[in-house]
Amino acid sequence: MATEKVVSLSAEAKAVAARVGSLRDFLAYLGEHDQCVSWPDPVMPEPDIRNISVAAGNNVSTGPAVIFDKIRGYPGKRIAVNVHGSFGNLALLLGLPKITPVRELFFEIIRRWGSDKPLLERVAPEKAPVNENRVDKNINLYDLLPLYRINANDGGFYIGKACVVSRDPLEPDNFGKQNVGIYRIQVMGPDTFTLLSIPAHDMGRQMLMAEQHGKPLKVSVMIGNHPAMPMFAATPVGYDESEFAYASQMMGAPLRLTTAVNGTDILADTEMVIEGELQLNQREVEGPFGEFPGSYSGVRKVPLFRVTGVSHRNNPIFENIYIGKGWTEHDTLIGLNTSAPIYSQLKKDFPEVAAVNALYQHGLTGIISVRNRFSGFAKSVAMRALGTPHGTMYLKNLILVDENVDPFDLNQVMWALSTRTRANDIIVIPNMPMVPIDPAAEVPGKGHRLIIDATSFMAPDNLGADPHLVDRPMGPEIDALMQRLNELQKGRA
Amino acid sequence: MKVICSRCESPGVTQMHAGMEDGKVLWRVWHCKDCAYTWRDSEPAESIDPKLRPAWAQMKGVDFDSLRQVIPPARKPT
Ligand SMILES: [Zn+2]
Repeated sequence: MATEKVVSLSAEAKAVAARVGSLRDFLAYLGEHDQCVSWPDPVMPEPDIRNISVAAGNNVSTGPAVIFDKIRGYPGKRIAVNVHGSFGNLALLLGLPKITPVRELFFEIIRRWGSDKPLLERVAPEKAPVNENRVDKNINLYDLLPLYRINANDGGFYIGKACVVSRDPLEPDNFGKQNVGIYRIQVMGPDTFTLLSIPAHDMGRQMLMAEQHGKPLKVSVMIGNHPAMPMFAATPVGYDESEFAYASQMMGAPLRLTTAVNGTDILADTEMVIEGELQLNQREVEGPFGEFPGSYSGVRKVPLFRVTGVSHRNNPIFENIYIGKGWTEHDTLIGLNTSAPIYSQLKKDFPEVAAVNALYQHGLTGIISVRNRFSGFAKSVAMRALGTPHGTMYLKNLILVDENVDPFDLNQVMWALSTRTRANDIIVIPNMPMVPIDPAAEVPGKGHRLIIDATSFMAPDNLGADPHLVDRPMGPEIDALMQRLNELQKGRA
Repeated sequence: MKVICSRCESPGVTQMHAGMEDGKVLWRVWHCKDCAYTWRDSEPAESIDPKLRPAWAQMKGVDFDSLRQVIPPARKPT
């Protein structure tokens, strides 16, 4: 079987990959592991859903997914939040115990990284569950979806976790140039929405192309997807690489695709697909929106789309995300897949790199552990990290630690900062590119970078030449002892 | 009572949807054609009362044509 040649999975991982083909399957699987709860009481759309989402996400290690099916004023409608809101849920998706340390999850992603065989299955549109219902006329998104305000000062009701499929407007038949990404969507009129992208992102490029050449840009907004899709749709793959192919490779199991009415490829088992078309050169007032740096974005003019049709499963689930001041589901959803490409890009040139933690606010702060090949080497690695595709825009604060410091264990990172940092040896690079929504930017889109080298000193640096490091017991033996203590505490030994 | 926009105080608002419970309207969703604000009349006052919303979030008197473009249009819309 092709899967075995691509990435070797454990028996547990294979079992999960085989049985989880959709959001519904995953919610059931999470439920079996006490990682999904149905909220028992009636809720108001605001502020109840916001508050319960935040509460679920506060437990970063084992917070559950939450299903709402008693939403007042929306009888019969369902919402799911926090599906990727804890590392426990991600661990289960990868076929690992839900208490797996984040460092091990990172290396599991790395282990699956680089497989290149797409595992895609075609399903005839008439057999695809997403086509169980079709709405072509009198479309009202406010009626079809139990929409709500995510943060109190958002400019409207946002769809925050949809995977948007679009074809290249100049090469609509090229599967590889079909893009899948997560972009924030604000519902406007009953059948219109804005979709926010920037020229640097694939969708932004496609919008610019469509308007320059007067070509149509058709999109399919997939809501409530196979859990691998939102997790890997946010991973920066090359413009001519398919996110569908990538997500299936990472799961080591086929993803079922079908063709939407507008010709794009969509997941056959997705809960709902909203098909839309860019209204060339038309803009609508969009925002503010509580974004991942924990502050509201401004109000701007953003491209407008008109809905041409909606397909959905019976009794569809509106999957959404809480995003705002961290920690939130957004951080868990994209953190490992932000860290992994930076690691693999660095590792190519610098095998001394041991791990990369870019979990924080989409990598605005990153921690790299690396063995110094020679004195000052870590700084060169930091410069290379700033030149990676993600680093160019996002890696603002970089902390370099030794290879035996676990960058996912902040107590160890603080040890390195406490004992290895020289305040006159930090690097500030002024006026670099920056994410426009970073509130610490000098002007939106431009600001300073910070590199802190907290690795050990070595010759010709004569500082700390004789450090007499304590050899702290660590490794599998200590891990096993911690596990034993944990079990003794729970009275299960 | 005439409904005005919670954010720009324009009277140009349209009902998008009404949420029903036991055959009665529980809430209504409104959308402003001028500033594009959307709200539900059952929301906490901090989101929908112009007097209690933060001043920075209000848009009364703002020239919407002067807002920043994220993707500049190639030409004027037809
Ligand atoms: Zn208004």
